[in-house]
Amino acid sequence: MGVDDVPLDDKAKRMRDLLSSFYSPDHAMSSSNSSKFASLDAINTISFDADQYMNLLVRKSNLEGLLQKHVEMAAEIKNLDTDLQMLVYENYNKFISATETIKRMKNNIVGMEANMEQLLQKIMSVQSRSDGVNTSLFEKREHIEKLHRTRNLLRKLQFIYDLPARLGKCIKSDAYADAVRFYTGAMPIFKAYGDSSFQDCRRASEEAMTTIIKNLQGKLFSDTESIQARAEAAMLLKQLDFPVDSLKAKLFEKLEQSLQDIHLNTEDIINVLEDSNDTSIPTTANDASVHEFVNAVQAYQVIFPDSEKQLVKLSQDLITKHFEITEKSIKEQISVAKFLGILRVIWRDVLLMNEVLNESFLPDYSLEAAQQVVKQFVSITFSHLVRDISDALIVSIRTKQKEGGEENALQVALETSKNAVLKGSMDVLVDLHHLLDDNLGLLQKLRDSIVDWVQEGFQEFFRALYNRFLLLSGRNKSVGQTQGLTEGLVVDKVLAGLVLVLVQLSAFIEQTAIPKITEEIATSFSGSGVRGYESGPAFVPGEICRIFRSAGEEFLHHYITMRTQRVSLLLKKRFKAPNWVKHKEPREVHMFVDLFLQELEAVGSEVKQLLPQGVLRKHRRSESNGSTTSSRSNPLRDDKMSRTNINTQRARSQLLETHLAKLFKQKVEIFTKTEFTQESVVTTIVKLCLKSLLEFVRLKTFNRSGFQQIQLDIQFLRAPVRETVEDEAVIDFLLDEVTVGASERCLDPTPLEPPILDKLIQAKLAKKREQNAIAP
Amino acid sequence: MQGASSGIGYGLKYQARCISDVKADTDHTSFITGTLSLREENEVHLIRLSSGGTELICEGLFSHPNEIWDLSSCPFDQRIFSTVFSTGESYGAAVWQIPELYGQLNSPQLEKIASLDAHSGKINCILWWPSGRNDKLISIDEENLFLWSLDCSRKAAQVQSKESAGMLHYLSGGAWDPHDVNAVAATCESSIQFWDLRTMNKTNSIECAHVRNVDYDTKKKHILVTAEDESGIHVWDLRMPMVPIKELPGHAHWTWAIACNPEYDGLILSGGTDSTVNLWLAPTSTGDGMTSESMVESPTHLVDPLLNSYSDYEDSVYDLAWSSREPWIFASLSYDGRVVVESVKPFLSKKWTQ
Repeated sequence: MGVDDVPLDDKAKRMRDLLSSFYSPDHAMSSSNSSKFASLDAINTISFDADQYMNLLVRKSNLEGLLQKHVEMAAEIKNLDTDLQMLVYENYNKFISATETIKRMKNNIVGMEANMEQLLQKIMSVQSRSDGVNTSLFEKREHIEKLHRTRNLLRKLQFIYDLPARLGKCIKSDAYADAVRFYTGAMPIFKAYGDSSFQDCRRASEEAMTTIIKNLQGKLFSDTESIQARAEAAMLLKQLDFPVDSLKAKLFEKLEQSLQDIHLNTEDIINVLEDSNDTSIPTTANDASVHEFVNAVQAYQVIFPDSEKQLVKLSQDLITKHFEITEKSIKEQISVAKFLGILRVIWRDVLLMNEVLNESFLPDYSLEAAQQVVKQFVSITFSHLVRDISDALIVSIRTKQKEGGEENALQVALETSKNAVLKGSMDVLVDLHHLLDDNLGLLQKLRDSIVDWVQEGFQEFFRALYNRFLLLSGRNKSVGQTQGLTEGLVVDKVLAGLVLVLVQLSAFIEQTAIPKITEEIATSFSGSGVRGYESGPAFVPGEICRIFRSAGEEFLHHYITMRTQRVSLLLKKRFKAPNWVKHKEPREVHMFVDLFLQELEAVGSEVKQLLPQGVLRKHRRSESNGSTTSSRSNPLRDDKMSRTNINTQRARSQLLETHLAKLFKQKVEIFTKTEFTQESVVTTIVKLCLKSLLEFVRLKTFNRSGFQQIQLDIQFLRAPVRETVEDEAVIDFLLDEVTVGASERCLDPTPLEPPILDKLIQAKLAKKREQNAIAP
Repeated sequence: MQGASSGIGYGLKYQARCISDVKADTDHTSFITGTLSLREENEVHLIRLSSGGTELICEGLFSHPNEIWDLSSCPFDQRIFSTVFSTGESYGAAVWQIPELYGQLNSPQLEKIASLDAHSGKINCILWWPSGRNDKLISIDEENLFLWSLDCSRKAAQVQSKESAGMLHYLSGGAWDPHDVNAVAATCESSIQFWDLRTMNKTNSIECAHVRNVDYDTKKKHILVTAEDESGIHVWDLRMPMVPIKELPGHAHWTWAIACNPEYDGLILSGGTDSTVNLWLAPTSTGDGMTSESMVESPTHLVDPLLNSYSDYEDSVYDLAWSSREPWIFASLSYDGRVVVESVKPFLSKKWTQ
């Protein structure tokens, strides 16, 4: 409807609403009942009731309003009328134009039918003509086609018959590629008809082909042919379904063969290196063979493009072999220069091969192998160092011993071994530094690792050295059994002197060698990168220092024990032999005193050679010189009494008094810490020996003479022993203790008269002087 | 490591060398000890730890005819004990009985049950059957080993068998294996010999010089601990007699006495002539674990085996005894006749106290 197309102004909208309400009476019906209560606005609704509206209007409005309303309404009605009139006109116009259009269409259609019929007729005639042409040409065409086919067949036959001759020609002109192409082209026919019609032909061409194959094979294997030609030959053979794999295997064998040669050469090189001590010359032989190998590999790679893997494996084998040989030679202790030389040769080979085999990761592979070898080299260097040091120790001591009691044997041994430790480790550092300085690509890559290994190596080295020291000192039985046997080191008899040397050597390592080495490591082997930070540096000087400090103490203790053990044995024999209860009157100072003093002398001389002199702190015994039998009042006594239920009446025996006196004196500590000085060590040994003497005395029972013998011996000992020690008070106390102990264990403790005692001692001294006069 | 003087002291009148735990007294923790005085009248003291554990009470004081070199209490009768004594010139051994009602007597005399008088040389020690009531006794002198059969009621002892240690083997002491009552370990100069009492034959020996004292681990079979003069303490596994399974440093001078705790495994007490008593913890694992453990431990020595060092002594300590009733208590005796009773409770690890 035209109304819809008109732009919707208010008026048009209202009109359309009206129209639509007109066309849908149902809607009006449903809403009519509700409109009864409509107001003045309901004028536009369908249920408009004029009377009602009128009433409402009259009721609501005054006259003026009514009049105004009237005017408004009149104007509206007029408007509505005009609108209605216009709508009617519009509709009418549209009807008129539609009728005209229909009339025009009718006129146009009238002439068309005749044209259509004409067209149909013409098409029909075209079709019939073309059918005619078709049928007339059909026979001829078929004939032509047949002829064509025959011609093709004939041509093929011709080719096959010509094939042997052609192949022969190809062989003559070396055009194997053409020959192969021809032959493969003819193959299907031979396959289909070869047994019947073309038998001769086939035989002839096959013969030709065998010649070709033979030639190709020859070409393939001949080293003189260019690689291109060989590769082509291989490809052609492959096209001929010839079993290429076996050829490949054969060639491969040949490669392996050449490898063997190279191995031999490498061994030669190492030998040459050993002999000539020169790293620059002897590479030529090896060079040539490696070049040869590289060429062969290259050729092979071109010939058999898919053989990469095998080749890589082959070259890896070669490298592995190289490194194995190197490893073997490392075990024979080669110098760093030689080691570097070998590495250089290997690395050059690797690079050469890598040029050919691009994706073989040969450098990586050899890097791994080199890692092993270098690591081993470092560790072996250190183990040699350990061996050198222990050898230096043993040899110097043994030889000196054989030569006879040289004065400074131990000192010399100490100096030699000190030197061995310090110089040895410095040399190792310098040597290993060569590894770092070298500009070889291989080593450059391993730089960080080498730093770590050297540090680790030192750590391990010092541990091993400590173990070796333990072994040498005979201190650690279990270590001796597990390690000593395997290394073939026989420590048949440990020398006390050696142990003392170890004491000083440990101190030297702790105080001098380790700081120096630490410094050296810090300057040249610092900045490790491979180890994580959390694990810290591999070389921990603090730990090593600790080990050697405790080792020093341990060895000192061990030395003292060894020395005292000898004296103990002496004393044991002394106290075992006589029947002390039936001892005869003492005539002279017993021989064991001499032996004991000899032992002390030996200790003294050993100690003097090796240990520093301590701060002199001899305090002449002055106030601490209380006699053992003096009785003093003592608060401790009351304390002691109260704890016991002993009848105090009997308690005032001499025994208790000696006990109490002892309580005072024992404030002088017997077992103090031993220091690394001559005096301290000697004093400790003397103290321990005298204590042992006391213990032996306490286990015996003496008659008067036995007691007097002991008294005499002790009295004689007093002077020389006091000479040697730093703390006389303790020694005096111990000597007194021995006498008191003997008197307690004596059935009749009557001491020797001082004049007799003195006389006997003088006699002994005179005798000793006499001996000394004769001896030197 | 200086131990505070926490111990309870008790003084003997004279010097003394031996103390023994009275095993058969199940009501009290008591020890018995005897003096060593050549010229005075010797005494045997029966000492009891007061119930509060703060005081040592003298329960009995008996005179003994000679100086006492060895003393051990009978494991099944608290009133019976044995002594080895010396007159100065000759040695003797006897089994004694403390008289009943001894507290009411003025000067109670010991009753001699039997005299073990088959010995000729120096007698070293007497060993009682390790535990329980049995009439067997062993006495060891320098050359011989005697097995006695004791009849308490008839007051007699008879030699059951006797074996000589052999030429040049001077015996010095011994211990009865608590796990195998037929085995006795005897120490001599250069080795420890093991005897089978049924055949009286040597079955085995450990090369080990200067052994002063030897003790079996009562908790673990095959474990033997020795104290040596200079070289400290060794722990042996009798199945592997070549090498000791553990070494402890011992004392500054000789290690004289050694005692394994009867209850706590690996707790060892040692007394030395440096006037100290050391308490060690040296656990040994038996069986297959042993090798691995020793391998782990040997390179490090991280754990100090020395738990404590009691240094409250004025002279050499020659004997020690754990109390079997209260196994955390031990008595030690120094040569000056001082008995010190200590408790090791502060050093017991959680393993035992739980």
